[in-house]
Amino acid sequence: MNNSENIKVKRNLTALVEFSRIINSSLDIDFILNNVLLTCMGKFLATKGLIALCKDDKLILKSSKGLSEEQKKYFPQLSDKNDFINNHELQKFITDFKFQAVEKISSSDECLGIVCLGEKLNKQPFTEDDTEFLKTILNISASAIQNSLTVNEIKIVNRALDSRVQRLNSLFELSKEFGFFSESSRVVKLLVYSVIGQFLVSKFAVVTFIDGQLRIIESKFSEDQLLNILTSNDLSKLENPLVESDIQNNFSALYELGVELVVPMQLQGQVKGLILLGKRINNQKYSEADIEFIYSIGSLAIISLENRRLFKEALEKQKMEEELEIARGIQKNLLPGKIPEYKNFDIAVFNLTSQQVGGDYYDVIPLNDNSFYIAIGDVSGKGVPAALLMANLQAFLKTICRQEIQIVEATALINDLVTENTSDGRFITFFWALFENESRKIHYVNAGHNPPLLIRNGKIQKLEKGGMIFGVLKTISPYLSEEIILKKNDIIILFTDGVTEAKNVNDDEFGDESLESLAVGIEGLSAQEIVAKIKEEVQKFAQGAMQSDDMTMVVLKVR
Amino acid sequence: MAEFSTSIKDAGGVNVVYLKGYLDAHTAPVLENTFSNLIEKSKYSIVVNFKDLSYISSAGLGVFMAFIEKIRDNSGDIKLSSMSDKVFNIFDLLGFPLLYEIYKSEEEAVNKFSETKKLEN
Repeated sequence: MNNSENIKVKRNLTALVEFSRIINSSLDIDFILNNVLLTCMGKFLATKGLIALCKDDKLILKSSKGLSEEQKKYFPQLSDKNDFINNHELQKFITDFKFQAVEKISSSDECLGIVCLGEKLNKQPFTEDDTEFLKTILNISASAIQNSLTVNEIKIVNRALDSRVQRLNSLFELSKEFGFFSESSRVVKLLVYSVIGQFLVSKFAVVTFIDGQLRIIESKFSEDQLLNILTSNDLSKLENPLVESDIQNNFSALYELGVELVVPMQLQGQVKGLILLGKRINNQKYSEADIEFIYSIGSLAIISLENRRLFKEALEKQKMEEELEIARGIQKNLLPGKIPEYKNFDIAVFNLTSQQVGGDYYDVIPLNDNSFYIAIGDVSGKGVPAALLMANLQAFLKTICRQEIQIVEATALINDLVTENTSDGRFITFFWALFENESRKIHYVNAGHNPPLLIRNGKIQKLEKGGMIFGVLKTISPYLSEEIILKKNDIIILFTDGVTEAKNVNDDEFGDESLESLAVGIEGLSAQEIVAKIKEEVQKFAQGAMQSDDMTMVVLKVR
Repeated sequence: MAEFSTSIKDAGGVNVVYLKGYLDAHTAPVLENTFSNLIEKSKYSIVVNFKDLSYISSAGLGVFMAFIEKIRDNSGDIKLSSMSDKVFNIFDLLGFPLLYEIYKSEEEAVNKFSETKKLEN
């Protein structure tokens, strides 16, 4: 080796060491490729050069010098990883654009890409030495390129991971927030903020379909237009999100409004609401993962909204039950607390309401020292409406009893009043009688009530004289009445149909016959004992079956 | 419960909003109120200083989205400044730097308003 060659080798070595130092000092892929390319072009006096790198088995042009933008477009799309260099299209590109040298950049185990260099400025061909030297440069470059690519890949993976962590945080945070029984407007606000913050959206709307009712909770679209569109396009059965193309093709009105994504909020397979979003300000499309995320947030929100609604409902129900309990107390007070004592009459009562408030009514109303009314009635229907009407009847009765009106006229008057106060087909069956203590005389009117039984010497007489039930028509013809002088040991049993229509588990009724046959065998008993006996027989018959009707009895025995 | 508060300073016509603590779904309404109040008083030049903000969630970011259109329609802007790396990372992840001007210092952000004003004049 002569001296000049020696110096040349030494210079080359120094250059290689410097080159290696520089490209290994950076992880910036563009800086590295730029350096590799400039070094090669400088070394071989090439007028142009390019580096293409493999990515996902494709060869992609990464860096070039001396090529116009137009020319770059001719670089072929290659996917034959094993043999890029002999690829027909690449060879054509090389010939067309007068590239002279083509070399692979290879790491220890794979091909990273290729370098192409154009013809030398002095038009000399590439020598074998040149090719060797180029290979050496590329070997040194390979590790720097690979490091940089790996770091970039990790950066991308890390960022994707950050994104996922960030989304999970959002979900976690919202589920925590929605866990409180927040105001529904607040739940929707948080839902909206999370979505628009996450996806950079400024146009959005949230609607709900709770109880079959379409409501726009929040909207940055025109509310009127949105309402129109959603009324004419029923989306309350939407199972899957609508993406931009679905909306464009099938719901053009929504698309024109600027809606690019519709995500249903579902609960137990039912669509309870929709999230409608406009375009993202950064012009990105909604990816499947994005839609999945919005769907998850939407589900969280709707569970919270629904929970709150159910909670409110439960509260209201509880409040109503409390009120009913109060009503029950009031109603109990309307019935006589203590039955007055009379020398010639032994009186006992029994009353059982099947619901919290009932429609049965009975009363013992003293008129003066010598006489008193006994009344029994049954308002049709049950529950609160029946109880209200019963209270109404009681008020009329108490007032009328003080007016010293004859029982027949009084009955007509009460019917007129009740008729004025009922409009929905409700009616009352009613029986009442005026008892005179000294003479043991009774004077009664029966307005369609189950006839009370008068038992004398084992024989039953039904107290049926009267007229029509209360509440259907105003009184046209006077009610009939009957006067009876009672005798010692006579028994009168007043009852409501809850007694005779008490049912057993087979749905059989206790029946009038049972009551009547029971009534003829009780002469030795006191009024209280008779009540107890009938109650016992009815209970025995019912065998614990739940009774749907109220049950009332008033038993009176002449002393 | 994480605390969050805002305070406002007038810097020559620019309203600097200082955020402190945790801005998340729970505290987002606080910032919402702050912005609503500024807009009500037609104060549309806003710099938000993040110096003392330790955490922001996407619900917090949503508040910025909810007001920006209205503010820009009134030829104002929300400019952001003085973020910690952690907070910036979240803004960056969600692509906010494309839409919002983010400055290292409050001063820089405030000055941008007067520069644009000068240009307009």
